Amino acid sequence: MEDLTLKLKEQIIEALNLEDMEVDEIETDEPLFGEGLGLDSIDALELIVLLEKNYGIKIENPKDGQKIFYSIKTMAEYITEHKS
Amino acid sequence: MVYINGTASLSPQNSLDYNKFLEGIIEYEKDFLQSIKPNYKEYMKPIAARRMSKTVKNGIICSQKALQEAKVDIPDAIIVGTGLGIVSDTEKFLENMLNNDEKFLTPTAFIQSTHNTVAAQIALKLKCHNYNFTYVNRGFSFESAVIDAIMHINEGKRNILIGGTDEMSEHYFHIIRKNGRWKKTKVKNTELLNYTTNGAICGEGVNFFIISSEKNENTYSEIKAINTFYKPENSEEINIKLKSFLNNADTKINDIDLVITGHTGDAVGDKIYYNFLQENFRNKPASYYKHLTGEYQTANSFALWLGANILKTQIIPDFIRLNGNPISKIKNILIYNHYFDINHSFILLSQA
Repeated sequence: MEDLTLKLKEQIIEALNLEDMEVDEIETDEPLFGEGLGLDSIDALELIVLLEKNYGIKIENPKDGQKIFYSIKTMAEYITEHKS
Repeated sequence: MVYINGTASLSPQNSLDYNKFLEGIIEYEKDFLQSIKPNYKEYMKPIAARRMSKTVKNGIICSQKALQEAKVDIPDAIIVGTGLGIVSDTEKFLENMLNNDEKFLTPTAFIQSTHNTVAAQIALKLKCHNYNFTYVNRGFSFESAVIDAIMHINEGKRNILIGGTDEMSEHYFHIIRKNGRWKKTKVKNTELLNYTTNGAICGEGVNFFIISSEKNENTYSEIKAINTFYKPENSEEINIKLKSFLNNADTKINDIDLVITGHTGDAVGDKIYYNFLQENFRNKPASYYKHLTGEYQTANSFALWLGANILKTQIIPDFIRLNGNPISKIKNILIYNHYFDINHSFILLSQA
């Protein structure tokens, strides 16, 4: 799981163009949206594509996104459960 | 009267800090020159910068610095000139389409690839709802922005933020190199004038200014006149345009204390500058600058930055001197630029 969270942080930095951020600046439990990292709806689209492109996971119900993308930890858990 | 009250430049040289710029030229031997990357974290949070390409970030930094220097909070207009816009994001989007077989497309690069992104992002950051315009007129892009700003000042506006921005990408560079515009080999910028081959040195940069109706303690210079002309037939026509331009500005050739030209190392293009100087300003001091920045559609914005700083400081660094003609007090500077003999322009700067 630790390897996956690290890899996810690297992928998020690349996908969201956070080139001036380091992986240790993103907390694993911190909320990705709102008061946490501060992502918005366009970033959500980027994260959906990231999951599909890198892990083959397609989110069928958009309402699930709120839980899946809550934090790096919840994303990693979802990937572990659903990776094909 | 139109004054330059604030300036900022990001280029392949140490231009963000004029004192460091005077310390010397940064040498390169490269295919094309790239702007020095500032520490973006000093100016904006990474999360705020995530959708900005290098040019957008550089535009925000330069606009901030120019506004601070001129002590202007909200300008009456934001006017930007760019030849290529945010070409790197356009390429990123197209590359993603190709590499992923038109799947997995996200909107960010596409949204940010429009030419007016720099002016728009500055306005968003400032919460400025005033006139916002981006000129994309190839080699006249920046000059068009200046002309528009002057018209706004003449109509009663007080402070206008103007900028010239262009970035160079690997793809665009290699495509354009094929048609012979850029030199075929790596270029040593410090030896630019020794090249006898065709093709220019290629580069990029972002330069911003506050143009104001009133001068203050920080004023750099006055923009006395600007004129553009398209594809002149020969040097005679350029000379006629010059005489008419100076005449309209109530200035004589003898009043010009320094000429800044846009030599690019291209044998064909530079011949036009040499003829121009020889036929009109034989005994006048002249300077050049594209060995510092490379050529790009809005490179003339760097010339304006350079001229404004020279008028304010009365310092002409040795590494931009084109000839050894003696220099007296610099009161009037003529900037003559052409973009591949297509887009020609004159700008006359005077001590304020």
